[in-house]
Amino acid sequence: MDEYDEMYGIEDDFERQFADELEVMAEMERESPVNVKVSEFRAKKQTFEEALTSADSALPDTDTAAAQEREEDEALTPKAKRRKQDVAKKLHFEATGDDITPPSSPETCQRSERTRSGFSLSLSPDRPVAAEPVSVLDISGLAVLQESPKRATAPRHVLKRPPASGDFITVTDCMGNRVYLRKTQEQDEQTPDPRFFRNSQSALGLLAVPIEVLKEQVSERRHRQLVEESQRLTELLNSGVDPELLVDGVIEDTEDENMNTPDESSASRLWVDCFAPQHYMELLSDDFTNRCLLKWLKLWDWVVFGRERKSRPPTAESRTSSTSTQNQNQRFKTKSQITEEILEAELDQYKRPKLKVALLSGPPGLGKTTLAHIIAKHAGYNVVEINASDDRSAELFQKRIDTATQMKSVLGANEKPNCLIIDEIDGAPAAAISVLLATLNRKDSREGEESTSNPLKKKKKKETVLLRPIICICNDLYTPALRPLRQHAFLLTFPPTQQSRLTQRLAEITRRQGMKADTGSLMALCEKTDNDIRACINTLQFLHGRGQRQLDQRVVNSMSIGLKDQNKGLFSVWQEIFQLPRSKRKRFGGDTLGGGEEAGLKDGSQRLQHILHLASSTGEHEKLTQGLYDNFLSMKLKDPSMANVCSGLDWLSFSDLVNECVLHGQNYSLMRYLPFLPAAFHHLFATNSVPRISYPNSHYEGLMKTQHTKNALVAMLAEIPPSVRSRVCQNNLCLDVLSLLLELICPKLRPVNPQLYSTREKQQLCELIDTMINYNLTYRQERTPEGQYTYILEPNVEDVVRFTGLPPRRQLTYQVKQLIARETELERMRRVERAQQKHNPQKTETVQEVKEVKKPQGKTRTSRNHQQRLENIVRQTVVESKPEMDFFGRAVVPKEKAAASTATDEDGKSSVGAQIGKAVGNSDVWFRFNEGVSNAVRRNVYIRELL
Amino acid sequence: MSLWVDKYRPTSLAKLDYHKEQANQLRNLVQCGDFPHLLVYGPSGAGKKTRIMCLLRELYGAGVEKLRIEHQSIVAPSKKKIEINTIASNYHLEVNPSDAGNSDRVVIQELIKTVAQSQQIQSSTQREFKVVLLTEVDRLTKDAQHALRRTMEKYMATCRLILCCNSTSKVISPIRSRCLAVRVPLPSTEEVCSVLMGVCKKEGLLLPAELARQIAEKSGRNLRKALLMCEACRVQQYPFSADQNIPETDWEVYLRETANAIINQQSPQRLLEVRARLYELLTHCIPAEIIMKGLVTELLSNCDGHLKPDVAQMAAYYEHRLQLGSKAIYHLEAFVAKFMAIYKKFMEDGLDNFMF
Repeated sequence: MDEYDEMYGIEDDFERQFADELEVMAEMERESPVNVKVSEFRAKKQTFEEALTSADSALPDTDTAAAQEREEDEALTPKAKRRKQDVAKKLHFEATGDDITPPSSPETCQRSERTRSGFSLSLSPDRPVAAEPVSVLDISGLAVLQESPKRATAPRHVLKRPPASGDFITVTDCMGNRVYLRKTQEQDEQTPDPRFFRNSQSALGLLAVPIEVLKEQVSERRHRQLVEESQRLTELLNSGVDPELLVDGVIEDTEDENMNTPDESSASRLWVDCFAPQHYMELLSDDFTNRCLLKWLKLWDWVVFGRERKSRPPTAESRTSSTSTQNQNQRFKTKSQITEEILEAELDQYKRPKLKVALLSGPPGLGKTTLAHIIAKHAGYNVVEINASDDRSAELFQKRIDTATQMKSVLGANEKPNCLIIDEIDGAPAAAISVLLATLNRKDSREGEESTSNPLKKKKKKETVLLRPIICICNDLYTPALRPLRQHAFLLTFPPTQQSRLTQRLAEITRRQGMKADTGSLMALCEKTDNDIRACINTLQFLHGRGQRQLDQRVVNSMSIGLKDQNKGLFSVWQEIFQLPRSKRKRFGGDTLGGGEEAGLKDGSQRLQHILHLASSTGEHEKLTQGLYDNFLSMKLKDPSMANVCSGLDWLSFSDLVNECVLHGQNYSLMRYLPFLPAAFHHLFATNSVPRISYPNSHYEGLMKTQHTKNALVAMLAEIPPSVRSRVCQNNLCLDVLSLLLELICPKLRPVNPQLYSTREKQQLCELIDTMINYNLTYRQERTPEGQYTYILEPNVEDVVRFTGLPPRRQLTYQVKQLIARETELERMRRVERAQQKHNPQKTETVQEVKEVKKPQGKTRTSRNHQQRLENIVRQTVVESKPEMDFFGRAVVPKEKAAASTATDEDGKSSVGAQIGKAVGNSDVWFRFNEGVSNAVRRNVYIRELL
Repeated sequence: MSLWVDKYRPTSLAKLDYHKEQANQLRNLVQCGDFPHLLVYGPSGAGKKTRIMCLLRELYGAGVEKLRIEHQSIVAPSKKKIEINTIASNYHLEVNPSDAGNSDRVVIQELIKTVAQSQQIQSSTQREFKVVLLTEVDRLTKDAQHALRRTMEKYMATCRLILCCNSTSKVISPIRSRCLAVRVPLPSTEEVCSVLMGVCKKEGLLLPAELARQIAEKSGRNLRKALLMCEACRVQQYPFSADQNIPETDWEVYLRETANAIINQQSPQRLLEVRARLYELLTHCIPAEIIMKGLVTELLSNCDGHLKPDVAQMAAYYEHRLQLGSKAIYHLEAFVAKFMAIYKKFMEDGLDNFMF
């Protein structure tokens, strides 16, 4: 229906019908949806043509196929049989406004004639069927084929871009070049000729019903429709009411036979869809938000449509008109000013707005998606929607974004530029959002004059900048995944729908659907659903579907429907638990309905139900409970006997037991009892004043501190020697030992050099060190933030035993701690040394000084080194003088060898090297000459001289 | 071995200072050769571990005292890696399975099984069984305890278990029935005193009998604590005086102050303060049941005789819930609130009676 609507609007009474809309548009920017609308119409017409084609080709199915297609075209055939069929179809298919008009009066008929002629002028030449009332045979497929070359030659000018005004046709040749042809009137007149010619040829009776008859039917039907449309329009013009309303009014006035048709069709269709706003003016959402979004979308005009933006200051009258509509938004003035500033800001280098994405956010049912669609359509875009039902993995998302923003449908159906709407973006994976961000921030490699000269051509390039608006819609603006997007987006938060407007609309709907409802009950319904448009309408439809034609307050109150599974923030849940609901008008209404006492009781149970619902819908029971526990004592408790506190805590411990059961026994059926805890708290502690609620972190802090304590204990236990370790465990360490141990390691020591200590003091110190080592304690130097150095225990078990509020324990002085730390370190080394010695005692011959730790280590290493070298030399000797004897251990061999080699030496057989080796092996003196290093007088010295 | 607790710990059954009859029985048990699984239980600081080590020495000789710490890592069926420290000699293995937290069952199943399955090579010279010493058995989960019962029977030939815990109430009955239960009670005050005197004598110090008695009482007959206290006294001030200040553990002081705060005022605000203190105690790894016990003791000593039965009953009720539940703070605070309510009512009633 609305297509025709628009069509007529274009042709003759557009100005009048959309007078107020035009005013708004003028306020925004200049706007010309004319060509857009025509093309839309054409799209529709083509389907009709297809219907005819199918009717021609598939003979037996003619009726059904035609009927099917006609339903879309709101067709009407005069035959009674057909009509029955149509009615049957309508049960299954959606059809909003098809109807039969009674024979029109001559006046309207005349009028329709007029309108029809105008209408035919606007048509494209390949659809003469509608243009020619004369019955002519049409084999449209062929006709188009034949016609197209002719049309290509006929006009003088081929345009490379769509003409600014007037109708045009898009033609794309085999090379992919696209041209635009301007339409002229004479084409229309030329077209019938070949058809007529064709007509005479095809009189072979291939069709059961002669094509003339079919055509006549079609034209008649169209005629009727036109008549009906014109009638409707006249009524519309007379009354000046919403066109939507009138459509239904006509429906209800039509003859009895069709009386139930719209009812049934709307029963199969959601009212939400039926009564969805079709125009900008019908939007229920906040005016300011609508306007802002539209303005933002208009910022794209330059780059998308190539229209320059007029930077004109808002006129005074438009200012006042806009402010008058949003008086209630006065207190958000600062915020709205910010938004306006964004809208007034300069375009960037590609003539795009600064913020390339609009992000609409708000709770469900406010009409965000509807707004986006309507506004995009209104601004002349073709809407491409991606929502949660689509696959939104990163690659696919990228592909879809590119498709939507860079391409354009070639087959003339929608030649409007695309506007991408990404619905429910808060559910998209973070990867997809980063893809979107990358698209936004994409820089053009070959930027410059091109972008200004021909934006349409530019978008065909791969990896181009984003040149199409994107509107994102989400419920929760603060989803972590959206965080990066928020900075680049034009944020629009939806305020709740005004109750008055919603009620008005609801009243309209109920009136149209024949339900009786007073304003009060509708208000109650709105309140119940938190002004959720969708929920309201669905509830109404539900009631209507149950045959309920009367809506009163009692029904609304008793309904459990219309409550959505809303997910509120934890803070608001806590607040609702701790705060008594303010007395509302609704409750007074309840009072008038029932007795006062009964209403009070009902109120109590209602509150209970409300809290139960709230608690179970949050889902985060653990955190909820924790918040209640942390906050309930800070409430203003009027509880001198502390009975409420006690029962509250009993509830807590009960819920803990239940939770334990659930978690350990996997007995999840008990979980349904958990929400009763908040309800109980509500009844025990709710007050009228606004509660001050802090986030519960005591539990978490406790956990962290416990962990800290445990870590210190574990670190301490890890290094304790096994003999002690077997006697202490974590538990008795912190219960019995540690506190006293810290006492023990702080003896009174004189702050003097330990050399000056008496033997007794020395022994005391020694014992202290021993204890420290046994319990794996030491002091570690640390710099305090003030720049002083202190020694603290390592591991820091002092934290484990120290309680805040107790007097601090006696500390040793810095010097003593330093002393202890050093001695402990030394003692540790000594112990390690001793353990090593025990492990391999033969390696170290020299008795080491106990005091010096570093030195002995160095000594052992050197001795080891020269021993090794000696061993090598000796081994060489052994190897050389091997033949004589069998191979024994190395220590034994040289001695035997000595005797043997002296004998061989006298023989002169053995080499000097062997001799040296022997000598080295036997003597204690060892000498080595480093060749090439001489900073002294060089002189030949033989080993034998040294020996 | 510088701490007196470690230095003067008896190493053989013959040297034990108290419960000598039990020591004799244990020695007989070893000598007769038929050594069962043992379940040693008793309060902390009674000398369970000492007794067990003496027993092991009786079984295997001095070799048991050569201890080493082993870091074992066990892979659970769920591919989770569990690290646990064990203390082992050539003859026995000491494990605290509750260190592994919730996966203690895996520790029992894997670790103990592998130990129990391996046989002694030279069974002629030694006992034919090894000993696995499990500590803190009462902290084991039920799963782990059930895993244990089969292991106990199956590897009887090669392995004996000695279980060590504070209370048997959390040990499932199948395990209790498989073990010979040995209770190690706390030493009497006199016994503690004599131990203290003996230690001081060995140290060459003179300990007044009065001070020894005070220490014994203040430590709650916990011998470990008593010895540490005594040594701390020594560090504080050597020539002992009978009335010198005996150092206490900090948490006990803190708990006492908390109890006083409860007695002094009963209001939600005070409850909030008490909550912070309870949290503080819990975060210092003081077990909730010990907090409960300490609180009750302090509160009972401060309130009227008429209230005592009620308070005790309440305490039992809330401690039971505490054991069942998982969030100790709720139950502790519930107890405190209840006590406040009762106490407040009692005081107000008393005031009313006084007025009229």
